[in-house]
Amino acid sequence: MRNLISFIIKHLSWFVAIFYIVISSLLLFNSNSFQKYVFLTSANKMSGTLYDATSSITSYFHLKGINNDLQQRNALLENELVALRQQIKELSLYCNTDSAVIDTLPHYEYFMANVINNSISKPFNYITIDKGRADGIMPEMGVVDQNGVIGIVNVVSEHYARVISLLNPNFRLSCKVKNQDCFGSLIWGGADPTEALLEEMPRHIEFIPGDTIVTSGFSAVFPEGLIVGTIIDSEKDYNDNFLSLKIKLSSDFTQLSTVRVLKNINKNEIDSLEVDKLTSR
Amino acid sequence: MAKTLIQYILLYIVLVLLQALVFNRICIFNVAVPYIFILFIIRLPVSLSINALLSVSFAIGLTVDIFSDTLGMHALSCTLLGLLRKPILSLYMPREDDVEGLIPTMRNIGFPVFLKYSFSVSLVYCIIISAVQMLTFSASAILLLRMVGSTILTSLIIWGIECLINSGSAQRL
Repeated sequence: MRNLISFIIKHLSWFVAIFYIVISSLLLFNSNSFQKYVFLTSANKMSGTLYDATSSITSYFHLKGINNDLQQRNALLENELVALRQQIKELSLYCNTDSAVIDTLPHYEYFMANVINNSISKPFNYITIDKGRADGIMPEMGVVDQNGVIGIVNVVSEHYARVISLLNPNFRLSCKVKNQDCFGSLIWGGADPTEALLEEMPRHIEFIPGDTIVTSGFSAVFPEGLIVGTIIDSEKDYNDNFLSLKIKLSSDFTQLSTVRVLKNINKNEIDSLEVDKLTSR
Repeated sequence: MAKTLIQYILLYIVLVLLQALVFNRICIFNVAVPYIFILFIIRLPVSLSINALLSVSFAIGLTVDIFSDTLGMHALSCTLLGLLRKPILSLYMPREDDVEGLIPTMRNIGFPVFLKYSFSVSLVYCIIISAVQMLTFSASAILLLRMVGSTILTSLIIWGIECLINSGSAQRL
């Protein structure tokens, strides 16, 4: 304490000077607006630089948390993206850009269904969908997806249905080359899930690889003009009267998810007419 | 002693009034302002204790502030000048022991020494007051002009006043 007092007395003039300087500075910065402004701005600048420096250091400590947040957000957005993609996929079935389908659809009702079982490697392939009799599915209905023809409904249970895939030799589909009238019968070759054969095509017509093959509309199952595939190659049929075309199927049977089941509104009428014709003969 | 005190009080009043009523209105070329009241600090006795010097400097600065509505500006500058007066004085005075009770007037310390001494004090004061007024060094050209102009003007007027006092009251002070 004595030391402190002696220290103060020894340096009293400095304390007096500091005292006066502090008082006059207080007066200066409190009562002169310009000096106050300058003081405040420079003080703000200084504190701003200080905060900048601090935050540039401390921001590294928060990186982990920020990273976690971003990961979470990313996951959330990814989920949303998947859901939206799914929605787009489903909705795009309603508004197919294929004009032929739009033209012909008024005669057809369709049901959405999800593929729950699918095979491509067996000699006789079938697809199972998650809609059945309760949803209005009946046997002999056509099944398509956004790319083209898939198959035809074969057996229906209450809530499920079995579809004969196009990749099944029991299933023959009446097809034609787009914008031409000659038609043939499409059948799976039995090996490659991306290729099929279009048989019984007339020999006198030139077929160019790349031409589109569409449904002929000669059955009540599929409307006319549904895309089936494109021509890869033409070859002679087993009997020389007809050509057989190698077709690349437009539907990817390895990646089926959502399909449409087509119901021909006039099917019963057509069927009864044809039955009459048969019986009357 | 009492006579000296009364003379100082008179000088104080006269200088403050002169500064407040006359010289605060002078601003030549918008740069040069005379601060003649520092003559009081110049004329304080050499042997005055530093605390008294600081107090008196602060007091006269504050008084001028009150009259010129710049509260704190001159008080701060005068306090700093009071701190610096002793070093400035020691530049031109031989030794403290020899100048006991000496009042640094033109007659007492001689014309050339007083010229240099008062010019130095003016320079220091004008540097301080300009810096305090501007507070930033962004406009350094005008700051420099203000410092130099004020210093010259202040020195000239202080020399004039000192000559007047000398001739008028040669016997008294």
